[in-house]
Amino acid sequence: MNRARKLVASISTLSTRRRTYSPSSTFRTISINSQTHHSSRRESFQPSSSSAKPLWLRFSGREFSSGSSDTTSSSVCWNCGFLSEKAAFLFCESCRSIQPIDDSVDYFQIFDLEKKYELDAGSLEGKYKDWQKKLHPDLVHNKSQKERDYAADQSAKVTEAYRTLTKRLSRAMYIMKLNGKNVNEEETITDPTLLMEIMELRETIAEANDSKELDQIRSQVQEKLKQWSDSFVEAFESQRFDEAVKCIQRMTYYERACEEIVKKL
Amino acid sequence: MMMIRQAAKKALGLTSRQSTPCSVGIFRSYHENVIDHYDNPRNVGSFDKNDPTVGTGLVGAPACGDVMKLQIKVDEKTGQIVDARFKTFGCGSAIASSSVATEWVKGKAMEEVLTIKNTEIAKHLSLPPVKLHCSMLAEDAIKAAVKDYKEKRVKTNGA
Repeated sequence: MNRARKLVASISTLSTRRRTYSPSSTFRTISINSQTHHSSRRESFQPSSSSAKPLWLRFSGREFSSGSSDTTSSSVCWNCGFLSEKAAFLFCESCRSIQPIDDSVDYFQIFDLEKKYELDAGSLEGKYKDWQKKLHPDLVHNKSQKERDYAADQSAKVTEAYRTLTKRLSRAMYIMKLNGKNVNEEETITDPTLLMEIMELRETIAEANDSKELDQIRSQVQEKLKQWSDSFVEAFESQRFDEAVKCIQRMTYYERACEEIVKKL
Repeated sequence: MMMIRQAAKKALGLTSRQSTPCSVGIFRSYHENVIDHYDNPRNVGSFDKNDPTVGTGLVGAPACGDVMKLQIKVDEKTGQIVDARFKTFGCGSAIASSSVATEWVKGKAMEEVLTIKNTEIAKHLSLPPVKLHCSMLAEDAIKAAVKDYKEKRVKTNGA
């Protein structure tokens, strides 16, 4: 809010052209204000402001569709001082300089996906490859050391995001984390039904020597994973978080079993 | 020191059988006590669950997908644990922790084994902080086994 006060004070220096935009929120006014103080940036803004849809209106479109978290986080570009309403990911909208990592940007936002469990694996992969093209080292080698470091950090974050979202289990745990439910508590469980089932499963795997047998077991376990993954979605969407945690626990056990099978094969 | 240990491990053919630790650290290796329990596991196996002198503790760590079964055989007259068995699926630290647990409970009274603390197991195996929960699992397994035996006694006595 301090930022708001400082910039509001400079409203008096606004030119008449800016006034015709009639923005509906103080932040938008501020973003236009900050441009007037950077004469070097004015030229870059003139063309966008004269286009059919001014830059700040485009922000509002995104704001309403992608959830409330965007309205609370804003970022200031270190290079041109552009104040964006939503957390900048990778590039500043105004001067295209690479931004440092903003922790408020979650993995779903990076890939422009809705914050839900189900996603299309193909489109995720496509978006990931697009990002890696943009972050390719050759594209940044002529930028400053600071920007190259930022690019390296952002690239690591994109990879981490992709890895987390591709696998069902890690995606489930991440989505729970975003909702404030931490799953990875190292509590001992004593549920006899679950544990006996897992014990027997692991024993069967340990005793199986035939690769055909192992493949058979693996497909059975994959079935279970799919089944519990669906249960997770249901539980999560109905806000039955304790049940969701149990689903994740089961999925963890089945994943471990799969890993064991793979090791044996 | 690390080099000698690595060489010794290679000589004994341990490197190929050594399971990857849950936390990956290139310079981190298991303590020799852990390797000892992993390669010469004491008391692996099972007792008959339905045997009235047997108490079974079955516990799991869902965070890393470990499952541990610890069984005790109790002398009905003295209340002393005469034998123990374990079966653990998990990382080397979990296996070693349960192996140590079966060794330590033998020859002790049930009330005494309830005082075995995970920190003692962890210290014996020099477990790193990230593996402390494995020793906790072993402590919980001991308690679960004693509890199971007592519950079985109540049932048979009550019936």
